[in-house]
Amino acid sequence: MKTSWLIPTLFVVAATPIGALPSATAVGAPGKQAADRCTACHSGLDEARLKAPALAADADVHHLQGVTCAGCHGGDPTSDDIATAMDPARGFVGKFPRAAIPEMCGSCHSNATFMLSYAPNIPTDQLAQYRTSKHGQALAKGEINVAVCTSCHDAHGVLPASDARSPVYPSRIVETCGACHGNKALMARYGIKGDEVAEYKRSVHYAALTTKNDLSAPTCKSCHGAHGATPPGVSSVSNVCGTCHLTQREKFDLSPHKDAFAALEQPACESCHSNHAIVRPTDDLIGVGPGQVCGTCHSAPDAGTMVASTIASTLTTTSSAVGHAQQRVDRASRAGMLMDDAVVKLEEANQALVVARVEIHTAKATAVAKQSNQALVASGAAEKLAATAEAEIRFRRTGLFVSLAVIAIAMLALILKIRTIER
Amino acid sequence: MRWLRALWQFLDDRLELQPLVDFAEHKEVPQYRHSWAYYFGGLTFFFFCIQVATGILLLLYYRPTAEAAFESVQFIVTRVPFGWLVRSIHSWSANLMILAAFCHMFSVYLLGAYNKPRELTWWSGFALLGLAMGFGFSGYLLPWNELSFFATRVGTDMVSKLPLAGPWLLKFLRGGEDVTGATLTRFFGFHVAVLPMITTMLIGLHLALIQRQGMHVPTRFEAEARSRRALPFLPNFVMREGVAWLAGLAILAALAAFFPWELGVKADPFASAPAGIKPEWYFLFMFEALKLIPAHVLGVEGELLGLGAFAVAGLVWFLVPVLDRGLRRRGFAILGWLALAYIVAMTLLSLFGVLK
Repeated sequence: MKTSWLIPTLFVVAATPIGALPSATAVGAPGKQAADRCTACHSGLDEARLKAPALAADADVHHLQGVTCAGCHGGDPTSDDIATAMDPARGFVGKFPRAAIPEMCGSCHSNATFMLSYAPNIPTDQLAQYRTSKHGQALAKGEINVAVCTSCHDAHGVLPASDARSPVYPSRIVETCGACHGNKALMARYGIKGDEVAEYKRSVHYAALTTKNDLSAPTCKSCHGAHGATPPGVSSVSNVCGTCHLTQREKFDLSPHKDAFAALEQPACESCHSNHAIVRPTDDLIGVGPGQVCGTCHSAPDAGTMVASTIASTLTTTSSAVGHAQQRVDRASRAGMLMDDAVVKLEEANQALVVARVEIHTAKATAVAKQSNQALVASGAAEKLAATAEAEIRFRRTGLFVSLAVIAIAMLALILKIRTIER
Repeated sequence: MRWLRALWQFLDDRLELQPLVDFAEHKEVPQYRHSWAYYFGGLTFFFFCIQVATGILLLLYYRPTAEAAFESVQFIVTRVPFGWLVRSIHSWSANLMILAAFCHMFSVYLLGAYNKPRELTWWSGFALLGLAMGFGFSGYLLPWNELSFFATRVGTDMVSKLPLAGPWLLKFLRGGEDVTGATLTRFFGFHVAVLPMITTMLIGLHLALIQRQGMHVPTRFEAEARSRRALPFLPNFVMREGVAWLAGLAILAALAAFFPWELGVKADPFASAPAGIKPEWYFLFMFEALKLIPAHVLGVEGELLGLGAFAVAGLVWFLVPVLDRGLRRRGFAILGWLALAYIVAMTLLSLFGVLK
């Protein structure tokens, strides 16, 4: 840090009424757009740095709620006179140093009474959470390059998190975090690889977010927290994943793996599924061979290898049977048969197969086999319905050919008769 | 066969049927290079008879309510013995009937058979084509599936654009503001009672006019027709028509067996309309044209303008026996070819997804 820059910064911070609420003249009635002289003057300035904030004010959530520029920057927003409006004696502080931003934002956002008037539905613990985050802790140690409020929310033209244009909207937050966390050179300074965002973009979660437009799909903040952003520790990974994957977590907790992983100080879910690049798990992952996850800890001929082998074999057989039934039903459907009953059976089979795959987390071959059997019974019923439909198709085609033959003979007889009488 | 002769004698004594038989026996069908066009009318009638027969069979199980219509058709095609065949034949035959009717109409038009003294035959035929399209429009909704529901919503909505009577007509067709179970019941009534009754009467009139006036021969082919021996109606023409009907039946059977008519998914009035909603193919030339017209043309609503243009075109088509006199014949023939080319091109472009 350059000391020539530090001295005036500290002076300004010292002069800033951090922790204090904006003055009465700086805020208007809640819900009523702010009217101040700051934007009136600044929007006419030539210097882009000074003009841009004024132009962004119209869409800014604070401005829309009655908080003027002076709410953050101090001064007198009612005065046209520059000297009065930007008088330090009236609390004017100008541009904030990054280090002061969380406390400045928190002066309102941590005040439950104040926030009640403006946005009663948003929490008021952001600053408290920020202080516990890696960002907040680093900032407290004097590392000013870490993320502060404006890094994610912008300084001016702040939009509600529910606005699709906001940088913290679910579909945009990955890019927002990635602006820093995707920068390997910057992240290297903090001992972070910097490829987390790129890895996340290969995951099923990112696919759900972007291709299915599923806004509830996990993003960075779902696992790391938003304001209290911090990496989940070994002991808390399963808690994080388990908030959505409840059943998998319950099954895992009942399995022998729970204690074993704890003893080895291995993270629960991450050990098999990875952390950011969580790809769609396939049955091929089960086993001790190359590219299979059980082989990380198990090797032949231990009991775990045997269980993995049995589970893999059961799932492969079941998956193949369900797939075969699906093909037959699809074929019959394409031939024009109504296969609603078979489709219901296939849904049952697929459902049971999904549950069987969830049972993998128990690491018990019998639990997987029980669900697999249900899938096999349902897919067998679908196969039977497909066979009936195939027989019906054969009957229809035979009937058609017989009918066509009869029609052709009748046509031929008529044509011969016509020829005879017209000769 | 003695009893058959006795029965004939019994009927002839009371109804004096012999003159009709004599008429049929002496009736002749002229032969020239385009006399193949005579078979389209009979083919249309054949498909109509199939529609009546299969329609009656479907009536045994069909239930015309929003709650039960889809399920009853589903029951017909999955549980009723040969129900799939009856429904499939009904749907395919409807399409083939309209196709045959279009072929019949254009062949009559292009050969100039609408001229005096056959104006009434042309007008009754025009009305019959309109009724056939009415059958198609009303029948399309009856399975109460997603496509038919939204296509009916779009189709009936176009009616509302008509000036003055539009909103009233919309309510009359829908039985309310929107397409609901009331619309289904109404369309069912049109489809199985009103339209068949009018159609049967008009077919009777149409056939009677043809028998009364005989087959038309265009002036430019009269010499050729005179030089060739005319075909006795009984049995030669009837047997030839029989071959055409059997060919139609074979095509119908193959289509019904290889491409069973899809049922789709049940209509959900609260769901959003699926992409690519289209009416039946015989409405596509109008539907696509209305879509291509800009929303507003010279301050007039585009759809209204399109509907107006089609109304004028339909009126010209209807009045062609009055408008086409003598020297104008050539111009009307070109108009007919242009109309045919336009309908075929728009329909094919829409069916092959070129127009989106």
